[in-house]
Amino acid sequence: MSELGRVLRLDARRAALLIAVPLLTGIGIVTAWLSLVPGVAYWDNSTVILIGSVRLLGPVAAGVAAWAAVRERGLDYLRDLSPRSPATGALLDLALLAAAAMIAYGTVTAVVAVETALRQAAGRPSALGMLAGAAALLLHVAAGYLAGRLVPRPVTAVAVMALAGAWAAVRVPGASWWSLLPPAALEEVELFTALRARVLADQALWAAAGTASLVLAYVACTARRAVLAVPLALALAATGAATARLHASGGDAAAPAPARPACRHWPLQICVHPALRSALPALMTAVTPLATRLSGTPGEFTRVVQRPAAEPLTVANGTASIHLDDALTPGYEQRAVQQIQNALADPRSCAAPRHPGYRELVDAWLLGRRAPRIADATAASRFASWDEERRRSWLRTNYAQYRRCDLGPSDFRPPRRLPVRVPRDRR
Amino acid sequence: MIADHSAIVARGMGVRRGGRWLLRPVAFGIAEGVVGLAGPPGVGKSTLLATFATLRRPHSGRLDILGHDTGDTRGRRAVRARIGYLPGRFRWSRNMTAEELVAYSAYYKRVRAPAARDVMKRFGIADDSRTELALLPPDVRLRAGLAAACVHEPELVVLDDPLEELYAGRGAADEAAIAELIPLIGALAPTVVVSAARPERLAPWCRHVLTLARGRLTQYEPRPTAPATVPTMPTVAGGTAHVLAATGAPPHRDGAPAGAPAGARGRPDRAGPPMFPAFRAALPFRPPRLGAGRPAGSGAGV
Repeated sequence: MSELGRVLRLDARRAALLIAVPLLTGIGIVTAWLSLVPGVAYWDNSTVILIGSVRLLGPVAAGVAAWAAVRERGLDYLRDLSPRSPATGALLDLALLAAAAMIAYGTVTAVVAVETALRQAAGRPSALGMLAGAAALLLHVAAGYLAGRLVPRPVTAVAVMALAGAWAAVRVPGASWWSLLPPAALEEVELFTALRARVLADQALWAAAGTASLVLAYVACTARRAVLAVPLALALAATGAATARLHASGGDAAAPAPARPACRHWPLQICVHPALRSALPALMTAVTPLATRLSGTPGEFTRVVQRPAAEPLTVANGTASIHLDDALTPGYEQRAVQQIQNALADPRSCAAPRHPGYRELVDAWLLGRRAPRIADATAASRFASWDEERRRSWLRTNYAQYRRCDLGPSDFRPPRRLPVRVPRDRR
Repeated sequence: MIADHSAIVARGMGVRRGGRWLLRPVAFGIAEGVVGLAGPPGVGKSTLLATFATLRRPHSGRLDILGHDTGDTRGRRAVRARIGYLPGRFRWSRNMTAEELVAYSAYYKRVRAPAARDVMKRFGIADDSRTELALLPPDVRLRAGLAAACVHEPELVVLDDPLEELYAGRGAADEAAIAELIPLIGALAPTVVVSAARPERLAPWCRHVLTLARGRLTQYEPRPTAPATVPTMPTVAGGTAHVLAATGAPPHRDGAPAGAPAGARGRPDRAGPPMFPAFRAALPFRPPRLGAGRPAGSGAGV
């Protein structure tokens, strides 16, 4: 083992480092686990969770680093009287604390990645996102440790943790571009959108350059090395450039992103976002009866497609569009069927129907629900007495009135039988 | 008059802590040899020794160590490589062995591993090098601390009450250990500054003893009838008492005083300490604002 390796091994036995790894790992895993969206595995959201975990991990890591800098100076009487650079000891401490933080962050990342992969992950893991989170954590470690070196008082650790916590807490997701500064406060990424790689790169650059600026400034002051002014100026310039780019982003961390859908093709074709492929069987079961009942009408559809939440729902050209919530909360398949049925109505004429109640009678049948009580009991009993085939036939005939919410009592009467004329030649 | 080549030269140096003067501005010089610093606990000995070790800055005045102005960054950095310092109740990392402590120090002192192993042999800790420091007897642990502090063969060694734990033992074995350690300490470097709570513990084996009390340094004059409570320094082989004020001769570059036999550097493995100190103090120094005491440089030489 090299002499440096032996020194690092000895320093690694310090209490702060032994405490830091399990403490940060535990906090990170609990934070990430609580943030995971149940039932959905979307890599971009896993990246958001990782970066979000740094909002809690960072202040704790900064506090631990400051505590290490304040308390663990037992061997400084050997380190300070050295022909080496006066910053050597501090840099080695920083390297060890950074390694401890990275071990913890790496463990949290692995847990989140495995959990996401096991749930049929959609999208792709973002190395830039992971890097941005790691850089933000390193910035906290460096800032906390150097604060502890500069103000070696026990209260420094508490103050550092409080300041870092406040910096993370005051910036809520989506408020402004300030929220994008590390540790970033990112909103949950909706399906059909993705994190912008440029924003993640700027965040990583901001944190890395900020860390480099702090360390270089400390070394330059401690070692009185004027030559460090050049890299320090470069690091500050990089921080400024990253700040300007994040400001220019307008606070939007996500952008629309097409996704190759996951589909089932029989008896209908149903396509959803790949993150929600687990919803396909339930959707197929729920939507098929409606599609069957609408068969032969202008509202007939053989294809169901999930659309982004911002797009309107339609049933046209044999395709019905639906919206699904990312979390697939219970009843999502029934809500999808209801969406299709709602899309069948003409919104203008249905706003004030002439004969309210008749359409609800048909809706209940289409959705497989119990028929409601309406004023016209005759029509209701007549419709209830029809078998499935007759109702479909009736709907094919009266679809236009149904769509306009213009159904009335006459539409439920049996067709008048006209007298049958016998041809003369048969007489 | 203060000799410019003294290991420690203070001019108007004052040390404060917690809003009070631990050492009021004073001018003095410490040349070669073992110099004791005594005073009751809390009087500021540790702070003053840390100032000598350049780990603290004086509140006022100027402090030159081994010819370098410690107020200057370059000077302080240059001289730090030539100082060995062992704080009171020195600390070590958890589960650290004597070998690891010395190796740790050797890295920061830029001393190669073979040289560090030689130092451990010279300090008599080679056999116990793989034992955890916490499990070692106090005298062996102190040897390990001294080896770590002096692995780079410093020219100035500052020791903060190194024998405190052994004095607290009061057993025959502790007295024997003290008797063995005193010549070792005396031979650590050309100039050794060592502290203790009571001056009578230092007087028998230190060339000069200063006492620190109420912010002032004074020369300790032992009472003729006072019995020695610690073993006395053994007879010096080849050592020459060297009083700078009398001769004005600078020490040899390798640390041996002028006139000392060639190669008689302060190596613990040699037969006894090779040198004795010269100390010179000019007390008190008149602080510019306080208006008390005599002018700087007007103190009598020792």
